[in-house]
Amino acid sequence: MKITKKSRLTIILFILPALIVYLMWVIYPIISAIWMSMQKSDTLHSSHFVGIENYISVLKARLFWKSMKISFIFIIFTTIFQVILGFFYGYLVYLQPRGYRIYKILLFVPNVLPSVATGFIWSYIYSPSMGILKPFMEAIGLGQYYISPIADPKLALGAVIFAQIWCGLGVQVILFNSGFMNIPSEVIESARLDGATGWKMIKTMVIPMSWDITKMVIILQTIGALRSFDLIYVMTAGGPNHSTEVLPMHLFVNAFQNFNLGYGNVIAVVLFILAMLITIVMRKAMERESLYN
Amino acid sequence: MLGNKKQKVLIYLALTIAAVLVILPLMWLFFTSFKSRADLAKNTWGLPKIWEYSNYITAWTGSRIPTYMWNSVRATATAILLTVVLATPVSYVVSRFRFRGNKLLYLFFIAGMMIPIHSTVIPIYTMVGNMKLNNSLEVLGLVYGAFRIPISIFILEGFMSALPRELEECAVIDGCSTANIFFKIIVPLSKDGIVTISILTVLSSWNELLISMLLISTPSKKTLPNGLMGFITEYNSEYTQLAAGIMISIIPAVLFYAFAQEKIEKGMIAGAIKG
Repeated sequence: MKITKKSRLTIILFILPALIVYLMWVIYPIISAIWMSMQKSDTLHSSHFVGIENYISVLKARLFWKSMKISFIFIIFTTIFQVILGFFYGYLVYLQPRGYRIYKILLFVPNVLPSVATGFIWSYIYSPSMGILKPFMEAIGLGQYYISPIADPKLALGAVIFAQIWCGLGVQVILFNSGFMNIPSEVIESARLDGATGWKMIKTMVIPMSWDITKMVIILQTIGALRSFDLIYVMTAGGPNHSTEVLPMHLFVNAFQNFNLGYGNVIAVVLFILAMLITIVMRKAMERESLYN
Repeated sequence: MLGNKKQKVLIYLALTIAAVLVILPLMWLFFTSFKSRADLAKNTWGLPKIWEYSNYITAWTGSRIPTYMWNSVRATATAILLTVVLATPVSYVVSRFRFRGNKLLYLFFIAGMMIPIHSTVIPIYTMVGNMKLNNSLEVLGLVYGAFRIPISIFILEGFMSALPRELEECAVIDGCSTANIFFKIIVPLSKDGIVTISILTVLSSWNELLISMLLISTPSKKTLPNGLMGFITEYNSEYTQLAAGIMISIIPAVLFYAFAQEKIEKGMIAGAIKG
């Protein structure tokens, strides 16, 4: 529709409120984060411009690189497991065995739980005094060696990743399932008549035909994992010895516990750039239309 | 669509393993919440010997969980109201009107989807502090709502573009004003899209911890995730009452899922496919 004189005012009134809120609470804060990342605070209310000084001190910080590494391990492992398991369970549900709806619902339940509750449940499952993991260890005669995996710097990240997969998998199952449902049934049927079954069917038909959804799940999951904070905060708060301190956690610790706002804002900018890079690079990398070519 | 018997058994086996892994921790929480402390120490796995309902009474009356829930309702409701009221008209304008900068405006709005909320927490914290708006659930809801604008416009724009235009065209010929067309035709037809963005807003706001922790410190104003953190520290050694409190806290989310299961799934798919 064209804008007429009469409708112009209405249209401006339709756009303006959203624009103001968006500019004030989303755009201004991110610009402000970039600006503040180049400031050093002298007192609580005054600061001066220092250019890239904060960036240099971040790039020199050992803990920053450790945090980067942890974030990448966290992203890579949660993505690999959630995509593979999501595909697998999405496919099983797609085959619609009797009662498949119940399985689909059950697998999704952890997603709607508050991460504080999930974090609590898993902390206690891992805990030596109340946990349900300890009896396992006792059964194989290793009970006295049991320590909570989230208290051990070597195991903590793995334990957190496991809990994250537990509470995040349902989304992937549903997304893959919906992707498979969109494959025209005639295509599947004719492949079946050509003798494609089981694994062959998955390899030659399902994976290529659902490449779009797979791409999307990978991108969404990667970005989501980059932003993970709540569950980790509840379970380990980044510890022990920074072993689970992913980037958002690193930001939180530096800005709100060490009160180093300049440093925190540099991490904020790094997170922002990573989020953009991941989206753009992954989209480009996976741009090929389908797997047929 | 299923293969032979052997395949069927394997399919059920795989599904059941996953289902058990999901249920077991929740069962453990459920049973723990009904045990006495002595019972829990001796018998971590099994059914409670005596079902202690008192854990629930203590957790409900001895904590602020009811207040936290109500606060979460307030913050989430504010976020929904804001997102719907702000995103719907914009989506209508960008999906229907041709003017210079239309595409640019749309891209500017949806670009916000790439901004991680964590990158903005320090400025938001400082801003809210400077304006002395800490401890306000409405401000918290405003921040949640503002961050839902990009994806909501994205979903609604797609939804509205797919709506037939004939009705509006007739209305224009009849001399109907733009505002009238929007309220009388577009909004009713977009009901499903609006429900979708509301549901996605609930899912992201109800469980949010970080912003809530930073903006709200008064105990009586804390939202559920934020309040539960304190509850967990406070009841640290009272596992059974703690478990009861956690059980209570997950009930609203589970009920919401039970009633809106299909809509939630559709919403997540809509949000994902376009995002």
